[in-house]
Amino acid sequence: MRDHKTIICRCEEVSLEDLVRTAESYRCSSRELKLRTRAGMGQCGGRTCRALVDSITQKCTNDSTPHDIPLGYQAPIRPITFSIMGEKKDE
Amino acid sequence: MDSRNTEVLIIGGGVIGAAIAYYTAKSGMEVTVIDKGDIASGTSSRCDGNILAIDKEPGFDSQMSLESQKLVDQLSKELDLDFEYRAPGSILVCESEDEMIAAESWVERQKKAGLSFKMLDRNDIKQESPYFADDLLGGLECETDSTINPYLFTYSLFHGATKYGAKVMLRCEVEGMSRDSVTGLFKVNTPKGEIIAKKVVNAGGIWAPYIGNMLGLDIPIKPRKGHIIVASRDMPVGMRKVMEFGYLMSKFGKERTVDEETDKYGVALVFEPTESQNFLIGSSRQFVGFDTRVDMDVVNCIARRTIRFYPKIADFIIIRTYSGLRPWTPDHLPIVSPVEEIPNYYIAAGHEGDGISLAAITGKLMTELLQDQINTIIPTDPIRYSRFKNVSTIQT
Ligand SMILES: Cc1cc2nc3c(=O)[nH]c(=O)nc-3n(C[C@H](O)[C@H](O)[C@H](O)COP(=O)(O)OP(=O)(O)OC[C@H]3O[C@@H](n4cnc5c(N)ncnc54)[C@H](O)[C@@H]3O)c2cc1C
Repeated sequence: MRDHKTIICRCEEVSLEDLVRTAESYRCSSRELKLRTRAGMGQCGGRTCRALVDSITQKCTNDSTPHDIPLGYQAPIRPITFSIMGEKKDE
Repeated sequence: MDSRNTEVLIIGGGVIGAAIAYYTAKSGMEVTVIDKGDIASGTSSRCDGNILAIDKEPGFDSQMSLESQKLVDQLSKELDLDFEYRAPGSILVCESEDEMIAAESWVERQKKAGLSFKMLDRNDIKQESPYFADDLLGGLECETDSTINPYLFTYSLFHGATKYGAKVMLRCEVEGMSRDSVTGLFKVNTPKGEIIAKKVVNAGGIWAPYIGNMLGLDIPIKPRKGHIIVASRDMPVGMRKVMEFGYLMSKFGKERTVDEETDKYGVALVFEPTESQNFLIGSSRQFVGFDTRVDMDVVNCIARRTIRFYPKIADFIIIRTYSGLRPWTPDHLPIVSPVEEIPNYYIAAGHEGDGISLAAITGKLMTELLQDQINTIIPTDPIRYSRFKNVSTIQT
């Protein structure tokens, strides 16, 4: 895990280095780590990096009981278009 | 259990508590902020980041926003952490002749109040974005409007406050408090021990009524829910913030000519390009208690409203949705005020959909109030707590 240039969040291009540095300096929750770095906030909705971001938080803050519940899922689980979202049920 | 002392205790680490902490600490006061969660874990990370005068009632309300805009511009230069500040202006678009007429009077009144507003015609709208529906008649523009990232702004203010010596206690809930009638000091109970404070500022957002109730206060704030869609920008749709004129009607609870669902959910189009490659689409307004779950029927309605104004956005991708709770007051103005019946107790809450816009001015004003200054940056009467004294039943 010491190759810090490794990209953890591909959508927003956030590296392990960014995540570790931020987690260490703010000792924050996963949610705050996500907001501060944008990891998990891109196209895929964090499907790829969520578990990694959670584990970085735990490692860096040395906390076995996370402050926050693990990162949540925000609907829609998979990206969809405005036209599909806007469809009336009875149409 | 420990006991600690502080001159000023700010309850609430949202954008309002952050701005008060920054300006009080900078002025040399000894200040502690306490939050039951993390910094910005309440409404201040579940919102948009607009610093707007365009949607404020002309006069006191819009001038207060203008003053706040000036402060945010200064903050963007004096704070260390970047918060994605930009000042591109904003526009409102009209879909009917009636709205155009109402827009004209809005512009006239704002100009009289000294703000930089102007009307836009059909052509101006076309220039603004090729994605707009063809039938839009025009709109209006406010030149000074700006935008920021709300949680980065909150983090940045806290970073600045701690540099001036502010202390921050997180994941620590205020569970009760009392005021010693002899010394006048506040005894505040938390799971981590007791805090003794000379002055207390209730900056609890939608939770301000619970905190006020600990000392028998009845603070008329209610959660007004709003939904937001985050979409990915395949192509640049527009450079600045856009709202439909009907947003004003929805905000101030006036009548609109829209379909039943749009009216019921208080849906009005708001488009906001962000600094990342995304854009945000809002908005909705509902009184449904403290429920922050996303309601897909509302999101559905917002998506339809989006397509009405931007037909070509239909194929754009929605990445996620979220919702937050605005701290609503009956007259749509915040409470930034001392409480006469409890000396040294202050309230800074109830900013509804304007807390990001008004955080800076609130922080500045609260610092002046805490120091008993007579000449304040803005008049204080319209936002005093005592204005609600004789309102026995508050209607939503
Ligand atoms: C969908 C949506 C869009 C919006 N868009 C905009 C916009 O574009 N521009 C704008 O200006 N405004 C906007 N707003 C409004 C803005 O978000 C709010 O007015 C603002 O965030 C309120 O900040 P606050 O600090 O008062 O509340 P909060 O951020 O909720 O902070 C209150 C804090 O108090 C803490 N707390 C509560 N009780 C206790 C206790 N007992 N002990 C310790 N801590 C406690 C909470 O944990 C919380 O962190 C929007 C709101 C929504 C919902």
